[in-house]
Amino acid sequence: MASASVIRLISPCDLRHRALAVRLIAEACRLARGERTVDEQSLSGAYDLRDPFDAELVSAFAEIYNNIVLHAYGRRDGETVEIALHVADGTLTIEIRDTGVSFDPSTVPEPDLDSLPEGGMGLHIARAMLDEVAYEPGPPNLWRLTKRHRPADAS
Amino acid sequence: MPVPIDFSRSDQGDVSTVRIAGTLDVNTAPELAPVIDKLVEERRPRVVVDLSGLDLIDSSGVAALVALYKRCRNHGGQVSVTGARDQPLAIFKLLRMDKVFAI
Repeated sequence: MASASVIRLISPCDLRHRALAVRLIAEACRLARGERTVDEQSLSGAYDLRDPFDAELVSAFAEIYNNIVLHAYGRRDGETVEIALHVADGTLTIEIRDTGVSFDPSTVPEPDLDSLPEGGMGLHIARAMLDEVAYEPGPPNLWRLTKRHRPADAS
Repeated sequence: MPVPIDFSRSDQGDVSTVRIAGTLDVNTAPELAPVIDKLVEERRPRVVVDLSGLDLIDSSGVAALVALYKRCRNHGGQVSVTGARDQPLAIFKLLRMDKVFAI
């Protein structure tokens, strides 16, 4: 079992820095699953999201990151996001802090999938992919994303 | 270390195959727009989107494919997706797009 660790990234919050944050989450997933070294293939450029745990966490994180850049910060340059990863006993907790516009997630409607929506799917994806999605309005606003790795997932 | 998008189109009779590899997300989906516009403009009867090389998609990428589907449907065209795997396949299933795109 991997020992507990805390990883922090303070980064500009914009679409240019999005891949950096997503890559960090993908690698932290490996740590949460008890893999100590980064996957060599992942360093070659391609994401390795074959493990459902990694795929689901990265999917959820990417949507929340998009929401912060596009909605909380309205695509403004010069804003910052703080990402703190807590890895312990197969559970990955991601805390994301931004100082943008707050909102009330409970007011976001579930997308009507039968109507083939072209937006409003982000929070639905995040909630479906994680064990817990919590939000506390700020400043700073805090997203807390939690997922426990279940070895049965790794089929 | 961003993973770029790579795409190509090939036509064989009525079928246009669009191969999308790498990452289709909020950053790269706009790059695909000209390809989609052209397929719609040419009223292609059948579009096959080959995602066997796609590693990562987000809701913006899904939206681009849904837009392609809807716009082709407007002129009676068919759009299907082939080769989706791993993270993109999980997203399509969650959003019930696997049935829409006949994955």
